[in-house]
This record gives sequence, structure tokens and C-alpha cells, in this order.
Amino acid sequence: MITLKVIVVVAVAAAVLSTAFAVASQSFVDFLATAQDAELRKNTIGGHTAGYGLHETSGDVLDPASSSSNTASDEVAIDPDTYLRSFNYGRVSNLTNGSTVREFTLVADDRQTMEISPGVFYNVWTFNGTIPGPTLRATEGDLIRINFINNGTKPHSIHTHGIHKAGMDGVFETINPHGRFVYEFYAEAFGVFPYHCHVTPLEEHISRGLYGVYIVDPKTPRPEADEMVMIMNGFDTDFDTENNFYSVNTIPYYYMHHPIEIEEGKLVRVYLVNMLEFDQINNFHLHGNLYQLYRSGTSMAPDEYTDMVTMSQGERAILEFNYKYPGQYMFHAHKTEFAEKGWMGLFVVKDPTQTGGSDGSDSSSTRLLETKTISGDVGT
Amino acid sequence: MEKDEIHRRSTASSSSSSSSSLQPRWFASAKMVAIALVPLAVLAAMIAFIFGPGQQFLGTGTPLPEISIERIEFQEGGRIIAYIRNTGPIDVTVAQADVNDRILPAAIEPSKELPRLVEAKVIIPFPWNEGEPYEIGVTSSDGTRFSKGVNAAAPAATPDIEQAAFFGLIGTYVGIIPVLAGLLWLPFIKRLSLQKYRFFLSLTAGLLVFLGIDALVEGSEIAAESVAGVFNGQILIVLVAILSFLVLMYASTKLGQRSKGRTAATTTAEEEEEKVDKLSAYDDSIHASQAKKTLDQQQQHHLVVVKPVAMALMISIGIGLHNFGEGLAIGASVVLGEIALSTFLIVGFMIHNTTEGLAIVSPLAKTKVRRMIGKIIIMGLIAGIPTIIGTWIGGFVYSPVAAIIFLSIGAGAIFQVVFLIYQGMAKEETERGGKIMSDASIIAGFAAGMLIMYVTGLMI
Repeated sequence: MITLKVIVVVAVAAAVLSTAFAVASQSFVDFLATAQDAELRKNTIGGHTAGYGLHETSGDVLDPASSSSNTASDEVAIDPDTYLRSFNYGRVSNLTNGSTVREFTLVADDRQTMEISPGVFYNVWTFNGTIPGPTLRATEGDLIRINFINNGTKPHSIHTHGIHKAGMDGVFETINPHGRFVYEFYAEAFGVFPYHCHVTPLEEHISRGLYGVYIVDPKTPRPEADEMVMIMNGFDTDFDTENNFYSVNTIPYYYMHHPIEIEEGKLVRVYLVNMLEFDQINNFHLHGNLYQLYRSGTSMAPDEYTDMVTMSQGERAILEFNYKYPGQYMFHAHKTEFAEKGWMGLFVVKDPTQTGGSDGSDSSSTRLLETKTISGDVGT
Repeated sequence: MEKDEIHRRSTASSSSSSSSSLQPRWFASAKMVAIALVPLAVLAAMIAFIFGPGQQFLGTGTPLPEISIERIEFQEGGRIIAYIRNTGPIDVTVAQADVNDRILPAAIEPSKELPRLVEAKVIIPFPWNEGEPYEIGVTSSDGTRFSKGVNAAAPAATPDIEQAAFFGLIGTYVGIIPVLAGLLWLPFIKRLSLQKYRFFLSLTAGLLVFLGIDALVEGSEIAAESVAGVFNGQILIVLVAILSFLVLMYASTKLGQRSKGRTAATTTAEEEEEKVDKLSAYDDSIHASQAKKTLDQQQQHHLVVVKPVAMALMISIGIGLHNFGEGLAIGASVVLGEIALSTFLIVGFMIHNTTEGLAIVSPLAKTKVRRMIGKIIIMGLIAGIPTIIGTWIGGFVYSPVAAIIFLSIGAGAIFQVVFLIYQGMAKEETERGGKIMSDASIIAGFAAGMLIMYVTGLMI
């Protein structure tokens, strides 16, 4: 009889103990974790997209869409602000026949691990230490000379799109580690072209970052404009042949928190190249405006007046537009998935008569605020 | 074991003192300690070598980060909470979070730096829709993404009275009512001939074996899905089940011995207690203390009818643990949105669990019941109430590791009861000069028991 009672007591004790155990294994750990962080730093997340609600946290914020690391640091694969309007015209000299020679040096490397999204470090393969490599620019008829040095641990090469001799194609003469090669060809047709490594496995050599833009200007220059380069790219950081990150100019969301400043009414010319690996297509959609589209940039007459262009890998175009109204306008892939993995940005159109022309030295906190206000229209 | 040790110690000290009688006694024991420490010193030297000079030549391979998402909660007002744990061999830093593979702003508490085995809470403001599937992901600083899917988002249960009452109601329907209803088979069982009774006793064993296997399979599933590899979930299940079996075996043998009266007192009560203490050091303080209590009573009481009652009680405890696991699963599934608690499902559980009542009363067929109605009801409650406790814990503070531990204890308990049932029957049979496996009713009963469980299990 008493045995029975004792066993009942034991059963109840078992239930109580089990409850205690289950509680301890979760909540108590949680409690301890919070208790350690008693100083309560307060950070706020949310607001990147309207309607998501704000949340205050004592922990860390994970938000690549509204903040970024110091892109001037050597650890980051590129400073998108600098890259955007940088054109490398090479070391210029003249041949006896009078034509211009432009000499560039490109150094390939595959040993660095760099930040390609805030907090994400990846073994990048680079030309001149950045992704994308420098934008090479010449004029139709120039002689291009690229001194190529392979500083990496694997064979690499440079394959430039355009017209050149077979031996200058960068396909059959792969350059081994510590090797050098001089690519020489005339800039025969004007347009916008990609250059990239053409060593197999090609997919890997491209997706790791060995690419850049090569622009050939027509002999009669295009009209004066605020020119910029945008290369649409992405990264597969977990090697499942699907991209984890998308962007223009490497860093996801970068131009969301560092909007590109342009002037109201002033012609903007974007040299747009798609180097995205793994996905069939990519595209560029501009808000609040239409652009003249010059496919491959090989003609002076536009092909289309639109706000959407879709490209597969290696395709490129020149986009020309100007904004009638000041304010902030998004541009992003209208493949929403890409947009929501980082391929989105903002133009901020300034009225030059009102602000006296901003030089882009706004404090980043102001930019942040602007970003939060504007981003209500994600998904249009 | 204890005795062996004492014996060895005494011989060791006596031999040393006899060989060097000039040395003081403390010297002998110090020497003893020193000898015991030698392997540890070697081990320490090895470890020092590996962390020091040996690091270079042992440092092969790349340790890969691993993050397990253990639990996902959907909160009202558009917020998703993911509880993550670093279950890999190296410290990790979380770089970002996503919902359905779309990067979103998120907070991580207490910190995005996660040392080994440490847990963090990722808060993602997100306007989720009820009943829809979601996949939550986190990406570590090396770009590896870890994710976990939820079949249907359901608002997280907040431990308020209303929700507790709701779970309590489910637990009552699924656990208590069916088990108590099953107890009503007792009069039927009592009127059976020996052969038919054995059929039903064996049927009980069949039911139990099914439940035991079910618990192990269920535990294994949880281990595979939600318990990080580092905890060795499946090994844990086997270990706990075996320990639970052994501890209960020990307890029930003690019970059996006492029912025959005290055997020759070769051991003192103190020694017995030491044994029990050692047992509890292994794992299961619950059952160890149970054994200890029994021992205490050994001196006071002398019950004759304890065996069938004890067996019934053990069955009810085993089933109680099983039902606790079942409750955990129900509670967690409701919260995780993995099952919709339809009427059909409840009915299925009820039919399935009614057979558990039968299992409890079967051993009592040869016992006078009149004075035991209360006890039988208590046993029904022992088997049924854990369902409610399980739903609460599963619903409010679900822990996969705790779940598999309870399921395995239950499995061990169940197998031990089955062992006892057959041991009892085999003994009877041997006394009559037969062999247990030649009894068709026993074989048929066992098969029928498992089949009943399988068929009623189809309804769940």
C-alpha cells in the first residue's frame, strides 16, 4: 500500500523533474544569455521596408540593406563609390604612325579572402585586387596593350570581348602562376565590352570575380554626360551553384545606403554589363524614368526607349537618361529575388539651383534616414 | 563493484604497509594517489603537445562552421524568432538572416558572435501569413547559409491560462479519457479462462512493444531533424533506453525479492543505499530514488499481492512516459504548425490510447480488485496525466533533446515491462513443465497486440 503511494510520489516527482529539465534546457539558457548582456545596448531594426515594424534589441543588428562596413578598407572587395565613376585610360604613348597606344597592367590573384557583403568573407579572385577589376577605357583605333601578371596559384588569362587576333583571345595561352603575358590589339569597334578570365573551370574563374569592363569610345565622342559603370554580379558563397548575393558593383544593397547623387536635368550615361554567373538572366529597371538603350553600345542610335532591359551573362548596354524631378529613385533587378538578395540601389536627384550642387559628402546618417523613408516602395 | 574496490584498496594498502612498514601511512596513500594520477599526467602532456608544438603538424583539414536552427517561432504582429545554436567545431559570426532565402534586416541576441555550442535568438520583423510554409536561414561570415523549414506558420503559443487550458483539454481527450476508458476492460479480463487471459496478457505485451518501438522511432526522427550532430542524438536514445531498462529491472527485482519476504541479510541497508547512490550517479535519479524508497519500506512491510499491482503500476509508469512524449509531440506540432488538430486526429489518438488502459489492467486479472479501485484509477492517471504535462512543455518550451530523453526513458520502461510479463508467464509455464513459446495463445496475442496498435495508429 505504502509502496504504491511512494511510487505515485515518484511518478509525480518524475513529472516535475522532467518539466524542470525541459524548462532548463531552453528558457534558462536564454535567461543566462540575456543576463550576461546586462548593459543593454539598444539597437533598432526594421524600417528597411515599410510595414515591417520596428524592433529594439540589446543584441547585434544584421542588416546589410541599411549599413555597410568601411568600404575604403582593404578587406572589402571594392569601394563601389570610387569604382562607379573611375575610368582607367592607361599609360598613353604614340606610335610612329600617329595612333595612340594605351598600356594597362592587370595583376590576377586568387589568394585573398575579402568582404563581399557586410560581415561575409569569401575567397575572391581578382584583377588588381578588386571585384570588378578596373574599367579600361580607350578610343576607337587605339592600340591596347595589357601587361598581364599572374600573381595567383592557378593559371589565369584575360579574354577581352571585341575584335582581335586569335592569339590575343586569352583562351589557348593560359598563363601559369608567376607567368606574364602581353595582350595587344587595336580597339576596332566602339562599344562596351566585358573582359574576364577564360581558364576552365570557367564558371569558377568568372564567379569568383575575375572580370571587368572595357569601354571603347567612338572617334566622335558621345555627348558630355555624368558617366558611370555598373557591373551586375553575384556570389555563390556556399558552392551550391546558386548565388547567395546579388548586386551591381559587388556589394549588395550598397547604393541603398549610399545613394548615387545625380543632377536634375543632367544627362546620365550608365555603362551596364551583366557578369552574373549561375542565373540565366539579369535585368535593370529604373524608377520614375525611361532610358535610351544602346545595346552593346555599338551604335550611336538607341535601340529602345524603356525602363527595363534584360540580359544574359556577357550582354551589356549603354543607358542614357536624365531626371525631370528631384528626389530619390530606385533602380534594381526586376527579378525580385535578385533585388531582395541585394541587387537594388538609389539615385538621389538634386536640384542644382537649390542645393548649390552637393559633392556627395553627406553624412551617412542622413543617407540612412533617407533610405528608410524611401524604401516603402520595394517591390514595384 | 563497490565491494571489489574496497577489497582492492585494503589489499593494496596492506601489502604496501607490510613491504615498507617504516613508511608512515600517509605516504602509502600519497603513493596511491600518485599512481592514479600517472595516466592523467600523460594525457595532460599529450594535450599540451597538441595545443602547443604539435598544433602545426596536426592541423590538417578545414573545420567547417555549423549552425543549427533549433526552433522557429512566429509571433503576432509580424515577427519571426529563430533560436540558433553553434553546433560546429569552431566559433562563428552570423552575418545575416533571411526568410525564404530573401535577405532581411534582423536582430541577433545576445550577440552575432557565437562561441561553440552557444545559443542565440534571431529576431526578424516579417509580416508572415498563417498556415503558409516558410524557410528561415542564417548566413555565417564565410557565406555558408543554414536554414530550416516550417510547414505551416502558426502563432507561437504564449503560456497564458487560455492556451494552457486548451492544451490541457487536448491532453485530457488524448491521454486521460482513453486510458481510463481502457481500464473498464478489467471485469472482462477477470472473467477469462487462463488460456484467454494469457492471450490478452500477451496482447498487452504486443501493444507495449509497438509503443516502445514507436517511441524509439519518434525519438530518432526528432534526433535526425532537430538535434545537432554534436549531441549524438541517436546514440543518446539507445543509451537512455538501455539505462532506463536496467534501472527499472533493478528496481523491480528488488520489489520481487521483497514480496517473497526478506532474504538472508547478507548486506546491510547502508550498503544497499550506496548501491542506489551509485546508480543515481549514472543517470536516472528518478528510478534510483524509487528503488531507494522501496528499500526503506522493505523493513516495514510485507505485502503478498504486490507483484501484479507492481507490474500494473510499472506498465502505467512506462505508458505515462510514453504519453508524455506523445504530449510533447502534440504540443510542439501544434505550435510548429505541423499538424492541424482535427477531430479525426483526436479520435485516432483516443482509440489508439484506449488500448493502453487494457495494458494496465491485464496483469490484475488474478487479483482481488474491490479494494483497489482507487489504485487502478490512480494508475490510469499516472499513465494519462503526463500527456497534459507533455503538451504544455511541448507547446511552451519545446526542447528536442529533452523530448528524445523522455521518449527513450519511456521505451526502456516499456521493454522492461514486456520482459517482466514474459518472465512471469515463462515461470508459470515452466512450473507446469511446458515451454512458453509453444503456447499458441501467447504468440497470437502478441501478434494481435502489435497489429491492433498498427491499425489504430493509421488513424493518427
